[in-house]
Amino acid sequence: MMGRAFSSDLLKIRRKGLWLLAIVAPLGLLAMQALNFGLRYDYFLEQYEDELWEQLLQYMTYFVSMSVLLGCTLVSSLLANVEHGTSSWKQLLALPISRSSVFAAKFALSALLMAFSCVLLAIGTVVFGLSFGFPLSSMPLWDIVRLSFFPYLGAMPFLAFLLSMCIMMRNQAMLITIGVTITIVSLFSTSAPEWLPLNWPLFAYLSDKPFWFAAAGIVTGAAVALMGMIRFERKDVA
Amino acid sequence: MSDWIIETIGLSKSYKGRYAVTDLNLRIRPGDIYGFLGPNGAGKTTTIRMLLGLIKPTLGSVQLFGKPLHKARLEILRQVGSLVEYPSYYGHLTATENLEAIRRIIDVPKSRIGEVLEIVGLAKEARRAVKGYSLGMKQRLGIASALLGQPKLLILDEPTNGLDPSGILEIRELIKSMPSKYGITVLISSHLLSEVEQMAGTVGIIRNGALVFQDSMPSLRRQAQSSISLRVSEPERALAKLKGGGLNATLAPASGFIELASCRDDEVALIVRGLMERGHDIYRVEERRKSLEDLFLQIVEGGKPS
Repeated sequence: MMGRAFSSDLLKIRRKGLWLLAIVAPLGLLAMQALNFGLRYDYFLEQYEDELWEQLLQYMTYFVSMSVLLGCTLVSSLLANVEHGTSSWKQLLALPISRSSVFAAKFALSALLMAFSCVLLAIGTVVFGLSFGFPLSSMPLWDIVRLSFFPYLGAMPFLAFLLSMCIMMRNQAMLITIGVTITIVSLFSTSAPEWLPLNWPLFAYLSDKPFWFAAAGIVTGAAVALMGMIRFERKDVA
Repeated sequence: MSDWIIETIGLSKSYKGRYAVTDLNLRIRPGDIYGFLGPNGAGKTTTIRMLLGLIKPTLGSVQLFGKPLHKARLEILRQVGSLVEYPSYYGHLTATENLEAIRRIIDVPKSRIGEVLEIVGLAKEARRAVKGYSLGMKQRLGIASALLGQPKLLILDEPTNGLDPSGILEIRELIKSMPSKYGITVLISSHLLSEVEQMAGTVGIIRNGALVFQDSMPSLRRQAQSSISLRVSEPERALAKLKGGGLNATLAPASGFIELASCRDDEVALIVRGLMERGHDIYRVEERRKSLEDLFLQIVEGGKPS
């Protein structure tokens, strides 16, 4: 039943800019680095000849973790707004489909859109490095994959939280404000304890136990999504 | 298995301690068009949302097709098409895509999309984005969505809201044809009696969340029948005489008219002759026709139907 809701959601997000967002976000990140490396290429070559890839990934790290959180905010809001926009919840939920399937389909779609961005980021990073003439032999493939996907996995609790809130509440402006605030605060929270989920997107790449943070993100994300689903089940639809 | 397609038992809903719907016992027969009437804010939409499982009743229960809604929700909703308040649609999609989005969930053959567009007369406009539609077209798309799953019960909440007269007529004809053409039972809510008068077989009137009238349309019409008013000299004495003759007469103190329930021409003649023989002067004999709308207003404003 969730499959049917998912296929319906896929149709509904046509021309809504969600796919565009998923494509533009990783390209934007890389464009910034293109500017960085394009302008100072000689400097990089001189100073870091043997660690050009590492430099690229290092410059990208904070931007990736920030973009992931912003992405969660925008994807959740845009996706929920497809139904809020013309109050389609009442029509959707009066159909013979369980609310949990509706919720699960939306969560799956937002997770898929985010994952799609991550794949593009990974491919784009490789293409970026090679086109700037970084040596293929020293390409840190595992680090590239880690930087592209682990911050997203670490951000799963936020995706689940923001999507639940966006589905539940009509006022998207407030939720976008919350999402942006979370993103900004996350930049300054690295000195806070590790168990704070705000740090997980960054630590899932930077720390020496990335799997731990990625796994914590997935488990907590699933738990938050489950709570959101239970609340959605009980909600009165106005 | 009960005889009713829709049966609510003591249905109530309260918001923060204030009851929007109280102790509602709706009963709707298969194949009927049920006009659910009431002024704005009387609780029609709240009731309809409860019928569709969108909100949970505070008290009472809903039975559709003889099954409790809270237990067999999905099975029941498979047989129900609905349009709640203003139509829901995805403006960036075309009419066909809108219906496809629903079709993917309810899993009916693709050919249904063309069929329902044909039924509501939108086939020619099907490839345009819905945000450019007029309100009437959006309403028709809403009805098309409701019909998509070949429902046995159609629940329409104010489907003619905001339509122009020709649009209202069109939708009315469409709804009227549902029971005979497709065997669909229809519940249609409205705040205008005139709107459902011509199609409903049964009427339920809701006021301040409570059902104040539920009976067949002919029965409502009977209650709206005319009365005879007389203005005579010495009205008190005349009233006593009429009452003595076993007639149900009342005296309106302000106007001085004696009012009688509707009677045949020969009865009126008899009454007039009787009064004249007793020496009363007769100034006026008037027939007063209470329109359905008057009766409806009287009911929704708090008076019980006479």
